[in-house]
Amino acid sequence: MTRLVRVELLKLRTMRVSYGLLAAAVALTALFASLEASGAGRTIPPVSTAAGLGDVTTTGGVAMILAAVLGVIVTSGEFRHTSATLTYLATPDRRRVLEAKAAATALVGACYGLAAGIVATVVGLAFVAGDGDHVTLGAAPLVGHVAGAGAGAALLGAVGVGIGSLIRAQLAGVIGVFVWCMVIESILGSSINAIRPYLPYTAATTLGGAKLGAAAFGPGYSASSQAALPFLGAAALVAAVAIAISLLAERTTVRHDIT
Amino acid sequence: MATLELDQLTKHFGPVVAVDQVSFSVEQGSIVGFLGPNGAGKTTTLRMLLGLVTPTSGTATINGRPYRELPQPRHVVGAVLEASNPYPGRSARDHLRIEALAGNAPRSRVDEVLDLVDLTEAAGRRVGQYSLGMRQRLGLATALLCDPEILILDEPANGLDPEGVHWLRRLLRQLAAEGRTVLVSSHILAEVAQTVDSVVIMDHGRLVTQSTLDQLTERATQVIRVRTPRPEHLAAMLVENGATAHIVGPDRLEVTGASGELIGTLAAEAAIPIFETTTEAADLEDVFLQLTGNPAHQEVAR
Repeated sequence: MTRLVRVELLKLRTMRVSYGLLAAAVALTALFASLEASGAGRTIPPVSTAAGLGDVTTTGGVAMILAAVLGVIVTSGEFRHTSATLTYLATPDRRRVLEAKAAATALVGACYGLAAGIVATVVGLAFVAGDGDHVTLGAAPLVGHVAGAGAGAALLGAVGVGIGSLIRAQLAGVIGVFVWCMVIESILGSSINAIRPYLPYTAATTLGGAKLGAAAFGPGYSASSQAALPFLGAAALVAAVAIAISLLAERTTVRHDIT
Repeated sequence: MATLELDQLTKHFGPVVAVDQVSFSVEQGSIVGFLGPNGAGKTTTLRMLLGLVTPTSGTATINGRPYRELPQPRHVVGAVLEASNPYPGRSARDHLRIEALAGNAPRSRVDEVLDLVDLTEAAGRRVGQYSLGMRQRLGLATALLCDPEILILDEPANGLDPEGVHWLRRLLRQLAAEGRTVLVSSHILAEVAQTVDSVVIMDHGRLVTQSTLDQLTERATQVIRVRTPRPEHLAAMLVENGATAHIVGPDRLEVTGASGELIGTLAAEAAIPIFETTTEAADLEDVFLQLTGNPAHQEVAR
């Protein structure tokens, strides 16, 4: 299994899209964190407060979405480019291939999340320093936000692998991820508060310390005082979603003939 | 012992019968042409053999085991299949590094196989920029990476220029000389006739024949042209003996279904002078076309 994961990591290292999505994750996080920080004192508390700084350092949600997109691309791309034949000739056990892809994409997704978390933290601290204030948020929560962003992106990367295996159509899969995270969860979360903590993208963002709804887009954006799932609960939920989608794929599309 | 064994292999795609109860075997160390027109079911058969397509019924084994059960399949079988391209944004060298790692081959093999297929200079270029012929060479390099004892090549000459086809023939001969078993598919008999020991011919999803090239040649309808002053008399005697004879001139006959010995013996018995006989050489391509039927129906199976 270790060799298979190394194979999938080597594939990811030799795909330009891996680096492109990482660059996009870093750039967009920097943008969102800067926008959030520039609204300090109006839309969020001042960055001189722990709550305000926390709002800025937890803006890495876009990296999680892009990790899921990467997962979709690495699996559906095998069928789009017909390289699945070569993959399955080398490793006929398709379930092991799926597991290795999920593990490798989770590792790379974690890098996306960590990078985004670090960028958001740097932006937040830069705004604090720019205002001449002291940092009121301790090192432990700051590190926790970064690590949580890594965990959330890793798990959503694995979810993306499942989606890409299940759908196989790359464009549909990528659009589906964006629509789910940016539109459907925003609508569902803002209209049915009770289910908000259990929505997978929302749960992943709470791993990175974001308040419920704070990572939502458009009209759904509303930092809620409602309690998020505890860290382990949220992690277990997103992992369960990844496993469920992957199992469904493994029992259906992954078994299809490679013609 | 048979290295490759297909037994009653069948595949249905919905209502279409792509492969219909195909059985044949390939002996260790032989080089076999797998022939049939486009759509005969060759690719589907090979993909079932390689575990990529699940048969509707029947079995396909390699060294007595299904491909999926081989412990290190790439070390046993190297395959080049149509519609199996590396990721286009990756360089050929990176692609081979991945395949070497996946197949558990030493990394040094990457340079060896690149050299073998004359792609060393282009190894750093992205595969998406390769011509079809270069991609075929890269496919062969991938197949040879783990130094397998068996090679399964699906239309490997597609996209190769005449020089490339010549290179491929030399490579296949070299591989056969090394004692490897090779199953090479083609829809053009001439492409493989100079290389293979025997042929398996499919058409419309069914096995038409498995034979040596010599046996195939013998199946060709031989025409013997005879020059004699009494063609009507000789023609009548030949027809009585089960042959077919057509008078094509005042002193000429065209005979099928009779050997030169029979014609000579009958002529001698009736004291019919024979001035000249010529045997038209059998054309393998004609036999192939006769065996594979009507091209108009060749799109039925994949």
